[in-house]
Amino acid sequence: MDSVHSPSDTAEHPAVITRVAERHWHALEDDLVVGRGEASRRPDGRIFLSIDSWHGVVFDQLADAMLADLPTPLYTVVDEADLDLTSSWRRAGFTTRRREWEYVVPTDPRATGLGSVLPPSDVTIVAAGAAEERLYTVDRALRDEVEATVGWQDMPAEVLPRPDGHTVLDPSKYVVATQSDRYVGLVRVSPITRRPRIGLIAVLAEQQRRGIARALLAHVLGSLHRSGIETASAEVTESNGAAMALFEGIGAQRASSNLELVHR
Amino acid sequence: MARNSGGIEVEGTVVECLRNATFTVELQNGHKVLAHISGKIRKNYIKVLPYDRVLVELSQYDLTRGRILFRYRT
Repeated sequence: MDSVHSPSDTAEHPAVITRVAERHWHALEDDLVVGRGEASRRPDGRIFLSIDSWHGVVFDQLADAMLADLPTPLYTVVDEADLDLTSSWRRAGFTTRRREWEYVVPTDPRATGLGSVLPPSDVTIVAAGAAEERLYTVDRALRDEVEATVGWQDMPAEVLPRPDGHTVLDPSKYVVATQSDRYVGLVRVSPITRRPRIGLIAVLAEQQRRGIARALLAHVLGSLHRSGIETASAEVTESNGAAMALFEGIGAQRASSNLELVHR
Repeated sequence: MARNSGGIEVEGTVVECLRNATFTVELQNGHKVLAHISGKIRKNYIKVLPYDRVLVELSQYDLTRGRILFRYRT
């Protein structure tokens, strides 16, 4: 599939850009790979790019080649503190579409204030445990609500729908809020590492503002704390005031920010 | 056609997270390099923390600079 892009006029680092696979580009200099570009498609169909190079000229060459080969819009994610990389993408014509705050969330109940938090009297918090229709049902309902309101493209990466309709991949990652015989909310936490990631926390619209989300967090964070995990992480889109209030209300601190950039 | 990677890949341990999205990584030979995260890791929201074991590609232009390609599971 190799297709070759001619080098730019800048002779300082005359790399040759080659598309080595459908979604991979290499910048070659004297047969050495001096830069790489990759395009990946997220479940919602959007194409996200990444480029690694040691020199801005090679970055620009890879970006030019990828933009010529791919349909727009195209996206990328950068750490906002990485000024060099951010300016490189802007030079390629990318603009800011969305900002995500990355929070570090304490697990100690003394820091979160969640030690004595209980769910509403008609709600129980349990681990999902097994794959079952109720989990799929509440997951689909929550995703439908998101789709009808803010939309998926404004949610952090893990809150993306899966094209085959099944969105619950590993029930062991979920803790759910149950009311009578149905699930009304859930939280998903990534596999245990030194800083687990809270990938999704959501409550059905009809059940919101009852303290269920706080109760879910109390359960999850309390479990992590008892396991010796001191902190968790979560990404929140800047426009999601409710989620920011939820995490900041339990002592979470902003640690960094990511920018989602787009080229239209 | 086989192509050679432009840099040397070595394992190391993250010593420090710096403010500008870079990390100090101590290599197995004791040398320290300044490394940033590869685009693939960034796109997939993989977190790199102090004391993480990582695979670093050293720049062929400056052996004190590197790129974190992979984070090993602890």
